[in-house]
Amino acid sequence: MARKMLRDGETEAYDYDLFVIGAGSGGVRASRTSAGFGAKVAICELPFHPISSETIGGVGGTCVIRGCVPKKILVYGSAFRGEFEDARNFGWELSEDINFNWKKLLNNKTQEIQRLNGIYKRLLTNAGVTMIEGEGKLAGPHEVEVTQPDGSVQKYTAKHILIATGSRAQRVKIPGEELAITSDEALSLEELPKRAVILGGGYIAVEFASIWRGMGATVDLFYRKELPLRGFDDEMRAVVAKNLEGRGIELHPQSTLTELSKTDEGIKVVTDHGDVLVADVVLFATGRAPNTKRLNLAAAGVETDKTGAIKVDEYSCTNIPSIWAVGDVTNRMNLTPVALMEGTCFSKTVFGGEPTKPDYKDIPCAVFSIPPLSVVGLSEQQALEQATSDILVFTSSFTPMKNTISGRQEKTVMKLVVDSATDRVIGASMCGPDAPEIMQGIGVAMKCGATKKQFDSTVGIHPSAAEEFVTMRSVTRRLTVGSKI
Amino acid sequence: MATSLGAPRLSLSPKTLQALRRTLPLSFSKSLHSKPLLRPSISHSPILLRLPRRRRLSSRPSASAGNNSAAASSGGDNYDFDLFTIGAGSGGVRASRFAANFGASVAVCELPFATISSDSTGGVGGTCVLRGCVPKKLMVYASKFSHEFEESHGFGWSYETDPKHDWGTLIANKNAELQRLTGIYKNILKNAGVTLIEGRGKIIDPHTVSVDGKLYSARHILIAVGGRPNMPNIPGIEHAIDSDAALDLSVRPDKIAIVGGGYIAVEFAGIFNGLMSEVHVFIRQKKVLRGFDEEIRDFVGEQMSLRGIEFHTEESPQAITKSEDGSLSLKTNKGTVSGFSHIMFATGRRPNTKNLGLEDVGVKLTNNGAIMVDEYSRTSVESIWAVGDVTDRINLTPVALMEGGAFAKTVFANEPTKPDHREVPSAVFSQPPIGQVGLTEEQAIEEYGDVDVYTANFRPLKATVSGLPDRIYMKLLVCANSGKVLGVHMCGDDSPEIIQGVAIAVKAGLTKAQFDSTVGIHPTAAEELVTMRTPTRKIRRNSSSDEEKVKDAVKSTT
Repeated sequence: MARKMLRDGETEAYDYDLFVIGAGSGGVRASRTSAGFGAKVAICELPFHPISSETIGGVGGTCVIRGCVPKKILVYGSAFRGEFEDARNFGWELSEDINFNWKKLLNNKTQEIQRLNGIYKRLLTNAGVTMIEGEGKLAGPHEVEVTQPDGSVQKYTAKHILIATGSRAQRVKIPGEELAITSDEALSLEELPKRAVILGGGYIAVEFASIWRGMGATVDLFYRKELPLRGFDDEMRAVVAKNLEGRGIELHPQSTLTELSKTDEGIKVVTDHGDVLVADVVLFATGRAPNTKRLNLAAAGVETDKTGAIKVDEYSCTNIPSIWAVGDVTNRMNLTPVALMEGTCFSKTVFGGEPTKPDYKDIPCAVFSIPPLSVVGLSEQQALEQATSDILVFTSSFTPMKNTISGRQEKTVMKLVVDSATDRVIGASMCGPDAPEIMQGIGVAMKCGATKKQFDSTVGIHPSAAEEFVTMRSVTRRLTVGSKI
Repeated sequence: MATSLGAPRLSLSPKTLQALRRTLPLSFSKSLHSKPLLRPSISHSPILLRLPRRRRLSSRPSASAGNNSAAASSGGDNYDFDLFTIGAGSGGVRASRFAANFGASVAVCELPFATISSDSTGGVGGTCVLRGCVPKKLMVYASKFSHEFEESHGFGWSYETDPKHDWGTLIANKNAELQRLTGIYKNILKNAGVTLIEGRGKIIDPHTVSVDGKLYSARHILIAVGGRPNMPNIPGIEHAIDSDAALDLSVRPDKIAIVGGGYIAVEFAGIFNGLMSEVHVFIRQKKVLRGFDEEIRDFVGEQMSLRGIEFHTEESPQAITKSEDGSLSLKTNKGTVSGFSHIMFATGRRPNTKNLGLEDVGVKLTNNGAIMVDEYSRTSVESIWAVGDVTDRINLTPVALMEGGAFAKTVFANEPTKPDHREVPSAVFSQPPIGQVGLTEEQAIEEYGDVDVYTANFRPLKATVSGLPDRIYMKLLVCANSGKVLGVHMCGDDSPEIIQGVAIAVKAGLTKAQFDSTVGIHPTAAEELVTMRTPTRKIRRNSSSDEEKVKDAVKSTT
């Protein structure tokens, strides 16, 4: 592989071809792939700890340490309760005393995360990337200043700088807010709450509601809208809400928290409806903000938007030609695999001689509520907004086979949204067991413009839930352009 | 299931219709048969039928064209029915319903319900619902819990006393569900206006079926009688059970021998192992699942062994003996293993073509007793068709459904449709399960020569915390010249669910580059299928060594 940087003779002037600030999903991927193209790369990251702060982070980033991975581990852990319930009608006799040891799970989870943290470090080392521990800040268009844990400051120059510092959970400004926790702490609580109050209707809120409920807590979920998961297909939102309720979570739509205070019984929670609850834990799952405040962006003149996210063009370049940004810090689509895609495209563009734009079309995603929701492409509402021809909606709501014996009153719901003019499937959603695993392949088919006819020509796998996606024969409804749902 | 009355023409109950039909004189069917037909007479050879039939079907007045009322189609043509289907399993029910929806008058006959099939017992729903996919999967669900109990320890769960399993509860609940399903299938037929006749159907002539002595005439006859387990004729075989019986045992086997290495054998091995029987599997070959991708065969064998199943390879059964205490011994070419409470044979299935009258009307059979059909599922007799396992093409429920649907379209909707047997995905509900679509590595190399093989073998997130030795194996086979994905194979949790969507992509002929352009869903196992960047090996027809190991990961890690 030719070393492009050396050939044009410019590299000599800089310490590195690329200096990356932040070793999360996007930063690690960009570093590794750039090094693979022959670039000389350094990356800085804050010291490791499960709970992040201005001075705490860790190689692996949000996904590995405070997001996807620990969350999924807790979801696995909490899903067992439902399994125990389901097992009985299949003939299993379980003692009434099933114990759950939170400390053990927490410990095993931390071990796994430390293992992954080590793997990520090794990935970087093996790729020849220099790792620097400390807080990175901009010092100019080609200069980064790293404050190391001992307080010493080191400056590095680089031809390109990539900002991949991610984002952090945000708090709500209400009296007593300091009594609440964010998802960071929620993933590492010393004690398992018996009574949990969650504020927020996004995916983090519903995921933690499922987790704590599964571990035996009472859960009260407060959100502003009529349904949780704004932005998702309305019909699926209603399904998720119904399932959360069915699993014993108290939903409080169109309401919020106004005040928290400490009492002997726990945290006293006052709602805008005047209700009062007492909780062991109050979780704010009210959004995340890009980590841009302490980056000293002004030193290089890097622009941010109103939310504090770094503004980038389609190639992830900021307004300064030598400075780039990927991942949550740009607040485009805040998902690990998207940050990976952006990181890879950046490397190809800058070091691979192959300008590549990340493609945001038909990106599948999942909400790991219990049961989970997964979607790809457009919701019914989005499809109708963008429609130039009639939209065909196919839905299927069925009792999963396991529930026919277990007796669990929970339906799996699936939906395909089809453009009648092209027959292309432009949206797919599913809420039910295994939805995220099922949706990945559907995502491949849709990404490549598969038509409903091609779905139908695929033979089912029997008996599976997924086969329903290839056997939806009759249109549930046809929406004409301009109609309202 | 909605039980609305449906269209007015359905207002006669099947029983009433049946009664009416019984009173009709049936003898004229034969004379009808010999009257000059509108269609040109053509050879009965399935191969020669192909071209002329397409034209004929679109030009002749079909049973469906203009015949949208039962009265017209049943009365006007002097046949009792436009279609008489023998066998109400997956293929038969689908074909009957669709044909009825296209306006045909349809009857279907089926044997009385029983969990164990025989020459005189069956049941609406067929193998899939009563003795196959459904009860099997329910048993798989039941047995999987023991693995989940084990997994749960790593996630902090513990039990005062270990979970016990009550066999009777499971079997009772399973059978209640099967009763419910057979009822649903009956309703589906009823709502479609199909006449259901209980009894054993036998073909008398190309347009007549006898059900327990009563004669019914039909323009078309569809044979959809399925298959049945087959056991070798060795001494003591009367002590063995087949898969029908294995799904309906009154007690849990303490120690069971399963003879066979096919999907039924490995599925039952997983079921009994999970429900805490001691399981021994005897296979003739070195590995289970002949015909599957070689590495998948290795992998699933290893994983099953780790879960406590004991394999006895390259052992053929020779005799079964029953000792005085009632326990069974299995003698093989290598020795004798004793102390079994049950011995199950999962040694293949045979088409149910005996005593159907096929030979007498000239329906040709293959060597193994399957009905020979052309691409439209037509037999060597023009008016007789066959779908599903009885034709021994690909013996899967969704394939029988496809064949049944295609048959109905071809015959009653003026839309000649060939079932497409390419890239049919399938699953094995072993523990862990397998999902696959397209070619195996061996087939891909044979067919394409130059193949890039992408593999992944990893510990899923759940196993890293449970501490169990569970792993997932995936393989993607890519045509080196076109980039087309030729086959996808997976063994591990959720494989059947994961492969379904992938199958749409494979069926649509997508390339590896298109897989790679899909963003992953994180964290899932399935995302691995769209993030396989580096081929494990590149196989080239012309290279001196068969396999060129690719070690230079950097080259394609972009």
